[in-house]
Amino acid sequence: MSAESEAEAGDIVSPSESGSEGDGPPIAEPESVDDEGYVIGSGGSGIVRRIDHDDFDPVGTLVLIAIYMAIVGVMWVFMYFVEFLGGDLSVIG
Amino acid sequence: MEIHKYEKIWLAGALLLIVGFIATVSYGAVGAGIEMVNDEGGQVDPASLEEHPKFGEPGTYQTGENEYDVYVIAQQFSFQPGTQQPIRVPAHSTVTFHVTSADVIHGFEVVGTNANTMAIPGQVATITVEVDEPTEYGLLCNEYCGSAHHAMEGRLEVVPQSEWNESMAVN
Repeated sequence: MSAESEAEAGDIVSPSESGSEGDGPPIAEPESVDDEGYVIGSGGSGIVRRIDHDDFDPVGTLVLIAIYMAIVGVMWVFMYFVEFLGGDLSVIG
Repeated sequence: MEIHKYEKIWLAGALLLIVGFIATVSYGAVGAGIEMVNDEGGQVDPASLEEHPKFGEPGTYQTGENEYDVYVIAQQFSFQPGTQQPIRVPAHSTVTFHVTSADVIHGFEVVGTNANTMAIPGQVATITVEVDEPTEYGLLCNEYCGSAHHAMEGRLEVVPQSEWNESMAVN
């Protein structure tokens, strides 16, 4: 039997009892859960890990934007120089 | 304000794209010589086009060696000339289209090419193009002009120099 099933309803299960064993999601430390002044619809404000401004590293977003910009650049060159300037009967006057 | 290093990268990229767009369009105007349609064609009275020296007898006029003017009237729902009989111009020549409308706003588009302008009653649109090899183009109206707009179309024939003859020009 697991520790969770032994706990009675309404009890706070501490990480030491269940977080270290089993495959379930880790349970936050009860002290870190800020349940005072909680606004419905907002996230909890318990800070899990503090990082510096430039330590946030969304490299996937950077790669995605680089791919988008490359596609836009290639399409622009193709549309303007190949399809438009290379087309018949350009207006020259 | 602190801006993240990645944001600086894609802000610079976005600015570079805008500068690139403007630079290529500027090159098209200055380097490649692409012109915009403007109001140089002047104005006419759409109610009395038949009294106009050229629109009174629309068609192809020779204005110089290998230079031709084509006067076209767009009206519901045909081009004159273009629909009843094709517009004919000789190959390897410089052609200036003078297009106006006798009734409502029409479009004048040589299909699949960059030659394209609005035909506005009272206003003459002039576009100059260079035609090369003998071929045949379609013409169509690309501004909704009424119930039979979808059927408003015509033909532009680029005739080989050897087959070109005086009867194909009005003058």
